[in-house]
Amino acid sequence: MERWNFGANREVMIAPSGTTVRGVLKKIMENLDKDDPSRPTVPLGHGDPSPFPCFRTTVLAEDAIVDAVRSAKFNSYPPTMLGLLPARRAIADYLSHDLPYTLTPDDVFLTMGCAQAIEVTIRVLACLGANILLPRPCFPSYGAHASSNNLEVRYFDLIPEKGWEVDIESIEALADENTGAMMVIINPGNPCGSVYTHQQLKKIAETARKLGILVVADEVYHHLTFGTNPFVPMGVFGSIVPVLTLGSISKRWLVPGWRLGWLVTSDPNGILQKTKVVDCIINLLNLISHPPTFIQGAVPHILEKTGDDFFSKIIDILREAAHICYDRIMEIPCITCPNKPVGSMFVMVKLNPSLLEDIIDDMDFCLKLAKEDSVIVLPGVALGMKNWLRITFAVEPSALEDGLGRIKAFCQRHAKKH
Amino acid sequence: MEENGEKRWNFWGMGKLNPQSKTSVRGLLMKIWGSVNKDDPRPLLPLGHGDPSPFPCFRTTPVAEDAVVDSLRSAKFNSYPPTSGLQPARSAIADYLSRDLPYTLSPDDVFLTIGCIQAIEITLRALARPGANILLPRPCFPFYDSYASSINLEVRYFDLNPEKGWEVDIESVEALTDENTVAMVIINPGNPCGSVYTHRHLKEIAETARKLGILVVTDEVYHHLTFGPNPFVPMGVFGSIVPVITLGSISKRWLVPGWRLGWLVISDPNGILRKSGIVECITDCLNMTSDPPTFIQGAVPQILEKTGEDFFSKTIDILREVAHICYEKIQEIPCITCPNKPEGSMFVMAKLNLSLLEDINDDTDFCLKLAKEESVVVLPGVAVGMKNWLRITFAVEPSVLEDGFGRMKAFYERHAKKQ
Repeated sequence: MERWNFGANREVMIAPSGTTVRGVLKKIMENLDKDDPSRPTVPLGHGDPSPFPCFRTTVLAEDAIVDAVRSAKFNSYPPTMLGLLPARRAIADYLSHDLPYTLTPDDVFLTMGCAQAIEVTIRVLACLGANILLPRPCFPSYGAHASSNNLEVRYFDLIPEKGWEVDIESIEALADENTGAMMVIINPGNPCGSVYTHQQLKKIAETARKLGILVVADEVYHHLTFGTNPFVPMGVFGSIVPVLTLGSISKRWLVPGWRLGWLVTSDPNGILQKTKVVDCIINLLNLISHPPTFIQGAVPHILEKTGDDFFSKIIDILREAAHICYDRIMEIPCITCPNKPVGSMFVMVKLNPSLLEDIIDDMDFCLKLAKEDSVIVLPGVALGMKNWLRITFAVEPSALEDGLGRIKAFCQRHAKKH
Repeated sequence: MEENGEKRWNFWGMGKLNPQSKTSVRGLLMKIWGSVNKDDPRPLLPLGHGDPSPFPCFRTTPVAEDAVVDSLRSAKFNSYPPTSGLQPARSAIADYLSRDLPYTLSPDDVFLTIGCIQAIEITLRALARPGANILLPRPCFPFYDSYASSINLEVRYFDLNPEKGWEVDIESVEALTDENTVAMVIINPGNPCGSVYTHRHLKEIAETARKLGILVVTDEVYHHLTFGPNPFVPMGVFGSIVPVITLGSISKRWLVPGWRLGWLVISDPNGILRKSGIVECITDCLNMTSDPPTFIQGAVPQILEKTGEDFFSKTIDILREVAHICYEKIQEIPCITCPNKPEGSMFVMAKLNLSLLEDINDDTDFCLKLAKEESVVVLPGVAVGMKNWLRITFAVEPSVLEDGFGRMKAFYERHAKKQ
């Protein structure tokens, strides 16, 4: 019987299936009834509308990539690990449109999607061995990466009754002198579908400054707003508090599979430079993987040439879908929606299991819904809010109607008899 | 403290992530490029790094470009990719690699990575249980050391023998192994050595690893780029003797390192790596990290299945020619000796004889001055673990290579010790 010296590094196995959206959805999808081919699955659990024809990206973006590939000028390793200069410059210009100061290419670092920007941010801040503040509910990658980097997380509340506003008092109560790092704000909100006002963001900035911590602004859904509040980047308040802005082309251009994102220092006072946070970012970027060179090469064309008509078209579809979603939810007694979604691709709704027979909680609801009606939604427990549900409305409107209709039928079938 | 004087911020980048640039190929090359004389009207000759794609004679095949364009235009690959990779891509890689193996790989044995570099990262992380150590060859591609260092994985070096075609010194492997040693890494065809191991030698390595209870990580990013008497034999051929993790990519054979499409493959017909939990660990690591863009994954089947032999032969012919030029030219420069004619990959290791030179202190000094005076860049051997050697890339346009050696000879003559 042979004996081998090697074994798995258990430290990297942190039960990831419970900690990523992908992992939780996979578990739910395993419950789908494979013997029911009559009805297509309606995927209302994840934020990726790209399979639907109405959400196809602009031909201009495709052309930019094709031109870059055919030019044969981008087959090499990129010259620097921070990103091709024209791409960094284009992103700096693109983001500066909405800021009261100008970003330079040196403020911009290319990443493989916003997902990698999150990973880099957490790893850099884990250097401090301090703690970070995350919103509840929150996109779970933040917690997952923090956990695998031994970084302590504390959760502050978002207030459903107040448009998912940040509970400033809970932040102040949680922060201590070891809250080296930051608080994370996701705006437009995932999972909440909220869009913060200028005033709300300013208050957040001032609070962070008072506490001596920086703000990480996850703006992957930047400009995807269709309510009354316009998108205001957190970087607008960069002179009050240093801001790390995370984003990508994934959502606005509907190409999450292209993996092109950015980590940007929105910090006109250069504090992140002085405190060596930027050095940490650069050192880490020298050790990790990077977007393919030809995708970097296509970025200037994509950012500069995409017309407003494409953006407006997408916003119109999202507005319509959000509206359908909200209206249909109102018709379902066991689900309540405290806030009509005004941005991003999601809405958080509260489940009332007491109105249902034999449904214990949100996870049970989602598992049974998948099995009986081939509809996928995400249980709120994956985001830190048990007995809530996150529903995606960024799908073809007819699929959305179908899906919500089935959810209604499911709830009726499981309603408690009186 | 506020307003008057410096605002106190709770975060101060401690820089636990220390700059690795001292020993990274990239960092040292940047320093050497930095010393190039900007007023030199002659073109800079890059003989320091392994990326021939800027040269027209090394352009990739239109089949690969078409595959990527078709995949993109289909609009079927704009979504997030699945964690371990698109199934058709995994299948295609399994078939492609199985052509050279005595058993068939399954798509489940294949994991897509962002270039071979990410395959290295994932492998090291999956193996780095607390207290473990791994064995690396000296000389070695420096990324292994940089990354291992950043995850606190202990590294020990065994020797490659320049007098024996850079073969692994089996005794030094045995001497270094203890109960915490989990794996040994080999790079074949060799970077930086340009060696191609024989079937006999690879089998010897496999049997040694088995005896020691360690697995073999084989870096085959230069797979099939051989132009000497030894054909390429994948380590996976010996997968039933010892579990093998095979790392590779399309970067070198298709000349597209910028496309970042690689793989980590379990070449282990006895399923030992699965039983030990390492495969699960690899899957978990991949779950947490980025993936190659979906449409590039979508292009993989077409790239692997449709590229013709003529493209591969053409590349090999050019490499054979330039390897030959390189070896011949080195012979003409007294202060540099090459113990082994390169037979594979894109590099050769040449030993520097400082005693024949005036006022050159070491290999780094040689390279800095060469860059400054002649606008030629080569890599000092210290970057790969062998001080006072040089790693020279021959994978460039033949005329560039001729020119480069011409200038190196002039440099030697200018710095030769007067008798």
